[in-house]
Amino acid sequence: MKIAALAFSNIRRTPIRSILTCISVLIATATVCIVLSVDRGYTNAVQSDLVEKTGVHLYITKEGCPIEAAAVIAQGGLSPLYVEENKVELAKKIDGVSAVLPFQLFTATAFDGSRTDIFMGVTQEILNIRPDWVLKEGTWFTDESSVILGAEMAQIENLSIGEKLYSEQFDREFTVSAILQRNYSQDDGIMFIPLSTAQEMIRREGRVSAIAIKLDDISRIPEISTILRGNLPDDYYVLGAKELSDGIMGFFAATRMIMFVMVIVTFGVSIFGIVNTMIMAVMERKREIAYLKCVGARRNDILHLITIETLIICITGAFLGVIIGLVMTPFANNMLKGLLIAYVPSGSIASPSGQIVLISFSLSIITGVVCALYPAWKASSIIPMEVLRNE
Amino acid sequence: MSNIISLQNISKEYTRGCEIVHALDNVSLDINQGEYMAICGPSGSGKTTMLNIAGCMDHPTSGSVVLEGKHVEKGDEATLAEFRRTTIGFVFQQFFLIPTLSVVENVELPLLFSRKKANRDFTVELLETVGLGHRMNHFPSQISGGEMQRVAVARALINEPKILLADEPTGNLDSRNSKAVIELFEELNSKNIAVVMVTHNTDLAARCRKVVHLEDGKIVK
Ligand SMILES: Nc1ncnc2c1ncn2[C@@H]1O[C@H](COP(=O)(O)OP(=O)(O)OP(=O)(O)O)[C@@H](O)[C@H]1O
Ligand SMILES: [Mg+2]
Repeated sequence: MKIAALAFSNIRRTPIRSILTCISVLIATATVCIVLSVDRGYTNAVQSDLVEKTGVHLYITKEGCPIEAAAVIAQGGLSPLYVEENKVELAKKIDGVSAVLPFQLFTATAFDGSRTDIFMGVTQEILNIRPDWVLKEGTWFTDESSVILGAEMAQIENLSIGEKLYSEQFDREFTVSAILQRNYSQDDGIMFIPLSTAQEMIRREGRVSAIAIKLDDISRIPEISTILRGNLPDDYYVLGAKELSDGIMGFFAATRMIMFVMVIVTFGVSIFGIVNTMIMAVMERKREIAYLKCVGARRNDILHLITIETLIICITGAFLGVIIGLVMTPFANNMLKGLLIAYVPSGSIASPSGQIVLISFSLSIITGVVCALYPAWKASSIIPMEVLRNE
Repeated sequence: MSNIISLQNISKEYTRGCEIVHALDNVSLDINQGEYMAICGPSGSGKTTMLNIAGCMDHPTSGSVVLEGKHVEKGDEATLAEFRRTTIGFVFQQFFLIPTLSVVENVELPLLFSRKKANRDFTVELLETVGLGHRMNHFPSQISGGEMQRVAVARALINEPKILLADEPTGNLDSRNSKAVIELFEELNSKNIAVVMVTHNTDLAARCRKVVHLEDGKIVK
């Protein structure tokens, strides 16, 4: 027989207690697993939405926070801030810049308030800068009254290539030249028009909302952003798409905080449970442990025995916890998507990984070992003479 | 007859509050190979204390303990544990059987600590000696008190000790089961294993070849 076999048989002596302790470890492990998956998933999704998927690495804007500007636009206004279009040439000259897209973003609300259209004036550079901006059918703008519709827009308006679209606010007629592939972002609901047409519609010739820049190498973002800033007038800002995503992560911080408090609470409960269970196990078996010492068990043998007993409970709990955590992440994903207000990424929020599984698992095991220390030490300090005490 | 345990001028004092209790007072005793000895005396006379010290479970306050020629009165925990593993077998009033282990597994339990591989044939032989050959795969809850004590005796013998120390081994048993255990001790003794038992039962003590009477920590007879 091995110490492990003895440990296992000891655990079976109080099955209910062992199972309950195991469940508390399970809950703690599953919680860590889910929380870490959500944390990683959200960060990745925001990054991928803003940095990788959009293909935009830097923005040239004028003053202020682009989120603020976005809010103004969303409410149906026109951002009061604008960038001179001639800065495009300046950006293009910089080494490492692979594409430069000036754009003009504005909205138009119907006179009766029944609908708000979002217009985005763009140049052909959008094809180079946005990997997920793909024409499903049709061709690029053929003249200044061409429009390319987002997938959702085309569906709502029930329009196909060559058909006409009338905007009453601007008293203008557009011809659909292409329809975009659905990419589950804001693009789906936008009407893309030639930049010059957009500028003319809102009387901002030579000016744009912002300039989006794509780099050859994403690691050069800080360096090129510094060069750009040096070449621009003082009231211009160069924002990394990463800074944008960091801003959004700021909103996520509160949610994150709550999640980590949850982890701490479940771990606290399970630590309490493990220590309690093991101390009880040691106290109940005090004389039996004394007997084991009496027949020659060393201090180390008892230390091992109690540690292994704790570990069996913790490993079982951690193993099942990781599995349940993985099974539950899709549910956590859906639940959180409903709760998030700051920014709901298009991708999956919860994204578990091998590393997360490993971290949750080892965290529980390490906790188990730490929890075992005191009861194990207490058990190993029992003196064999204890066996003879008449109670 | 070679000497196994020799207690020389042993005193053991306990402090209880500010009062000092002389549990043993200058006691000397030799336990030889093949000895069959009973320790008797009123409650609190120091019987258990003496067995403790002889069994390497406690240090005397003064005097020396010689085990197979080695002084162990100041031995550290590991040394004493080593002697308990190899030379001495213990039987107590309580059986300390692990309920989730079968009879055979309980008997082989001490091997776990002596790092010896279980020899199933030997275990079976032991269980047959104690008359439980047919109960090997039962669990403690499925056997009687007398049988449990006999399992405990078999377990005490698994490391092939030279001496069996028993503290009131029949304390929890009825007279019929007590008799069975005592007969077992006599059989073991005939195989040259020294048996020293603490007992209140004068009938049992009368069957021993040597009886030591303790009173107030002193040997009176
Ligand atoms: N750990 C201890 N602390 C204080 N006093 C103790 C301790 N152990 C034993 N004693 C005292 O030492 C004396 C001898 O105790 P011991 O247990 O050896 O008696 P005993 O002969 O075995 O008695 P019984 O027949 O009741 O088992 C008693 O007075 C007891 O109170
Ligand atoms: Mg006693």
